[in-house]
Amino acid sequence: MTEQVIQILKDAGLYAWELTEERETGWEFYFIRHELDQNRAKALQSLKISVYQRIGEDAVGTAAALLPPTATAAEAKRLVDSLAYQATLAPNRAFTLNAPKREHATHRDTVTVDVPAVSRDFLRGMKSLPETETEFINSYEIFVSAVTRRYVNSEGIDFTETYPKSMAEVIVNARNEGHEIELYRMYKSGTCDAGGLRERLAKTMAYGRDRLRAVPTPMLGQTDVAFSGEDAIAVYRFFAARLSPEMIARRMSDWELGKPIVEAAEGDAVTLTALRELPNSSRNHAFDQEGAPIRDVVMLRGNVPERFLGGRMFSAYLGLEDSFQPGNLAVSGGQQSEAALRQGRYLEPVEFSDFQVDPMTGDIFGEIRLAYWHDGETVTPVTGGSLSGNMHELLRAIYLSSETVQYDNWRIPSVTKLRGVTVTGAE
Amino acid sequence: MKAPFSPYLAGIHDGLKRLIELLERDYDYVSALATDSVGFALRISQHAKAVKNETMTTERGVVLRVWRDGLYSEYALTGFDPADPEGAYAEIRSALDAQLALLRETRTAVYETPKLPDEPLTLFVEKEAEQLPETTDLRALVDQLTALSDQGMTLDPRMIECFASAQSTHISKLFLTRNRDLAQSYVYSEGVVAAVVMEDGRNQMDYGNVSGLGGPELFAGLDAKLERAAANAVELLSAGRIEPGEYEIIACPEVSGLIAHEAFGHGVEMDMFVKNRALGKDYIGKRVGSEKCTMHEGALCAENVTSYAFDDEGVPAGDVTEIDAGILKTGICDSLAALRLGVQPTGNGKRENFAHKVYTRMTNTLFDSGDDTLEEMIASIRRGYLLEGVESGMEDPKHWGIQCIVKKGREIVDGRLTGKVVAPIIMTGYVPELLGSISMRSKDREVFGGGGCGKGNKEWVKVSDGGPYLKMKARLG
Repeated sequence: MTEQVIQILKDAGLYAWELTEERETGWEFYFIRHELDQNRAKALQSLKISVYQRIGEDAVGTAAALLPPTATAAEAKRLVDSLAYQATLAPNRAFTLNAPKREHATHRDTVTVDVPAVSRDFLRGMKSLPETETEFINSYEIFVSAVTRRYVNSEGIDFTETYPKSMAEVIVNARNEGHEIELYRMYKSGTCDAGGLRERLAKTMAYGRDRLRAVPTPMLGQTDVAFSGEDAIAVYRFFAARLSPEMIARRMSDWELGKPIVEAAEGDAVTLTALRELPNSSRNHAFDQEGAPIRDVVMLRGNVPERFLGGRMFSAYLGLEDSFQPGNLAVSGGQQSEAALRQGRYLEPVEFSDFQVDPMTGDIFGEIRLAYWHDGETVTPVTGGSLSGNMHELLRAIYLSSETVQYDNWRIPSVTKLRGVTVTGAE
Repeated sequence: MKAPFSPYLAGIHDGLKRLIELLERDYDYVSALATDSVGFALRISQHAKAVKNETMTTERGVVLRVWRDGLYSEYALTGFDPADPEGAYAEIRSALDAQLALLRETRTAVYETPKLPDEPLTLFVEKEAEQLPETTDLRALVDQLTALSDQGMTLDPRMIECFASAQSTHISKLFLTRNRDLAQSYVYSEGVVAAVVMEDGRNQMDYGNVSGLGGPELFAGLDAKLERAAANAVELLSAGRIEPGEYEIIACPEVSGLIAHEAFGHGVEMDMFVKNRALGKDYIGKRVGSEKCTMHEGALCAENVTSYAFDDEGVPAGDVTEIDAGILKTGICDSLAALRLGVQPTGNGKRENFAHKVYTRMTNTLFDSGDDTLEEMIASIRRGYLLEGVESGMEDPKHWGIQCIVKKGREIVDGRLTGKVVAPIIMTGYVPELLGSISMRSKDREVFGGGGCGKGNKEWVKVSDGGPYLKMKARLG
């Protein structure tokens, strides 16, 4: 069917077109404590078609749809005809799709994914956690998939790549005589890293113990806040968003190539790099969703934008011919060690209800479920209250540990310290 | 007109019935849910325009649920051929048998659950819609959205972008067992106009939206939302920061809806009771709010984006009184959680799409109205804020913590709005204290269906929520 659709697209007289075929074989297991609640399997296929039509001299319109795999050739033809009309309704500044490059010619789809084997690793790994009477797994869900993606476009790109995709959602409980709390975790990866999973869940259980003895967060006003967990990624997503061609073209980001993003900053300057691969990342792809080759590229070097990276249309508008949508991102370590950054008075939040950094406004907010208040001498677990601030101001004093740690498709400093965050206490 | 049921689903009906018969050789309960939902999404702005025939809920596929020896298993597929149910049968058996072999190898214990009842029921529902997404004049709609975006750019020199979007989805679902034959078709639509402004390198954005059960005819209401959205965005540029503390507040209907959703929406999803993940389990029949706190939940509570006739497990839609004058009466429940808890399902079993598992999920979650006016409520406050606009929320059913990110607060001093605006606002609190502090509620009530809801950080479904203006006390930061 896919070949028939490609022929229909070729025959349709379009300005340009894209087709993405995805086949996913997935296994899922849902547990209550360690008893199986439900097992699920799936065999899915999707065909996404995008067509482009020239409108006058300077414009190109686009329309897209998913074609059900059960569709007939006649239905596919009707859909393409319909898209060809719809594309004329939405004129954008003219641009061209990605064209074949050396990477496409040399690419070979050599990855194979053994879904039962990866599932086995998860099932065994989850049964060998350091649980106790008071810290234990409440429930968990395991998702393992093998995905094969073929991308074809009118410019001559045609590649297939296969990759694994896994996720474990885990609820960890901790209890004492009078109270029980839970902590939520979602781990995404390529295949199963049983050792890493065990290590991170053991740490989560320790957080659970501390939350049970936590006292209300004091009213700290503006204070230093050190992020030592996955929440720091939200901070770095702000940087990646501000460096996207779409934000630049829409004037929602005023960052410029070669011009520091902040003047007279103290602390560490941020270096952000797009990476083709990170170990066992769920985002290790040779090409992005529009067929552009993914490479290692420095986007921000020492607080100075070096490359804007993102989707084809806005990249073309900015004249960025080698752009792509990054999958993996890394933030370089700073000048001081984690131990050095952990000196003095600071709040270390490790559990939020939901920590957010708004890429549009720069506002940050989160309700604190567990944090450690380091007063310079003692460390006290605290809970409640919230923190807030704005990245445009917080950029002026950001400190990064020299050590780094990986969370799926991000490698970031193990500690990110922001100066002058507003902490509303719960006392 | 009636939104017509999918011809595709009608065409695979008999093949699915045959597949169910085949699977019943090996399993003691078999059901099939087949979906065929189509729609469009138009996104128009100054810098990009796009037409997609895809929304959050467009899909086509089949999921089979089977039960044997206390265990439920499911298989989802996109390639069902009604002429070859035997092929699908072999595919399903092969995959589920391979999973069971692995489960035996890993000595995995089963959380045993009884067999679902299968009482006879036949239902064929086609709801009303003035227009269908399949036959909408997209050119006219693109012109309307383009005009809105262009007009938005003229409203203030600080405007840098104006988005206008419209999406409409025609849902068709077929649920079959040996004794059940349910079919439904309905259309829901949602549109947004959003204004983005910039001053001194800082951005602000605000939006207005329309949503509801119905077709693209609803988008006529978008025009009236533009000026307010632009004015709100501009107002945010000069907003100050709030001094953290506890205040008397008035939640606008949209914020009331967010509180309903986060407080006793997620808090009484009864699949969480099964896992001992929600405090609500221990508070049925107890006070969790003031006398002026009454909440309903169910697909029948309102005509909005998730007002279906039956849920994804073939249970007819319901209307549950969760909180009655401050007393927690009951929760909402999918079919398997109901079996495990020994209660009746409420018609709240929903999937993100056919390829995802069923969980207990919200539909329309609403506070009841009262007799007060907004003016009376403002006049009653010595120092506090009128909260407007919704960013996001997060629940904590295990501890009844609540976090709501609100766009802005309008300062009230000595019974009057001062004109001072603060933004953004994090509202946090303990749910029974927050609901226990409700002291006034307005006569009017609004319902909003523009958002989606996740379970944890995944499983996104459409929901709506709302309520009247509510006066209460909350911690703001």
